[in-house]
Amino acid sequence: MSEPQDRVWEVFRQEAEGDPMVHGGSVRAPDEELALHYAREFYGRRQESHRLWVVARDSIVELDDPDLLDPPFDRSHKRPGGYIIKHKLEAAKARAATTGAPEVEE
Amino acid sequence: MDLSTPVRDALAELLLTLADDEFVLGYWDSEWTGIAPMLEEDVAMSSVSQDEIGHARAWYELVASLTDDDADRLAYGRAPEEYRHAALMNHARTDWAFTVARRFLYEHADAARLESLARSSYSPLAELAVKMRREETYHLMHFEIWLRRLAEAGGEARERLAAALERLGPDAATVFSPLAGEAALVEAGILPDPLDALRSRWLERVGPVCEALGLPAPDGAAALPPDGRTRRTDEFAWLHGELTMVARSEEAATW
Repeated sequence: MSEPQDRVWEVFRQEAEGDPMVHGGSVRAPDEELALHYAREFYGRRQESHRLWVVARDSIVELDDPDLLDPPFDRSHKRPGGYIIKHKLEAAKARAATTGAPEVEE
Repeated sequence: MDLSTPVRDALAELLLTLADDEFVLGYWDSEWTGIAPMLEEDVAMSSVSQDEIGHARAWYELVASLTDDDADRLAYGRAPEEYRHAALMNHARTDWAFTVARRFLYEHADAARLESLARSSYSPLAELAVKMRREETYHLMHFEIWLRRLAEAGGEARERLAAALERLGPDAATVFSPLAGEAALVEAGILPDPLDALRSRWLERVGPVCEALGLPAPDGAAALPPDGRTRRTDEFAWLHGELTMVARSEEAATW
């Protein structure tokens, strides 16, 4: 008799129609059918899920390369926070106070 | 719906068979909690067993409403010989293959029965049957998956499964043992199909599944024993002692 080949399955759940699917956790099961049943028992038997997605962990394409995800150079210009606009905003406010805000036309 | 006394009594007897089947099987299989083949199955099996106790509760409440009784008394206050579950539920939990074999045979029998009862003229019964079918469909799928897995695994798993099916086949048919007031229930449309007709439908479902897997199917030609729902075993007497233990510990208590 061969030993069952268990696989790990990642379970994503949706609480209500239209909500994003969020990772709930994982289950171990020998095949897709039982993985669905176990996902239902672990993440849906208390009516807490509107929908479940079950994905074999070994079907997931992973990227965790630090050269790509955490590059050595300053890449802060790729983030909104990389732009300091506080001083520009203050200057603009001061200008508006001295010259007066443009009148709204009737 | 106005029920004459004989029809009401027959209906209460039918409901009691439904309740006791679910109740006793739920208790047997709840024994897998903590020792099922794998953690995931442990949780699934416990949940399925809990579903069955829930179904039993609904049936007991319906019996109690007809006979001016109490659901808790029906569940925990009867002597072993007063239970009306089919002989299939007399057996101890045994091993996983035995549990899967019993579940496969029972879930198909229950499906044939509920499918018919969903059309009952007695609406409280029909409504419950409709609700239960939604959960029982999942139970049936679950144990068919396991039946197939054990059969296809070969070796000891397959041998144990085949032996269990062989042993349980005759007792499984007792789910369809005739009831004293059955003719009156069929007449009133409360039981839309005679139990014997439901037995044939059950055989039409389990037969091909067993055949495809090369497993022994229940014998459709065998006569049903007259004590199919009254025979009690030492194994059941033990379970009865276990499941009534807490209720007996303080009989006047309100739970």
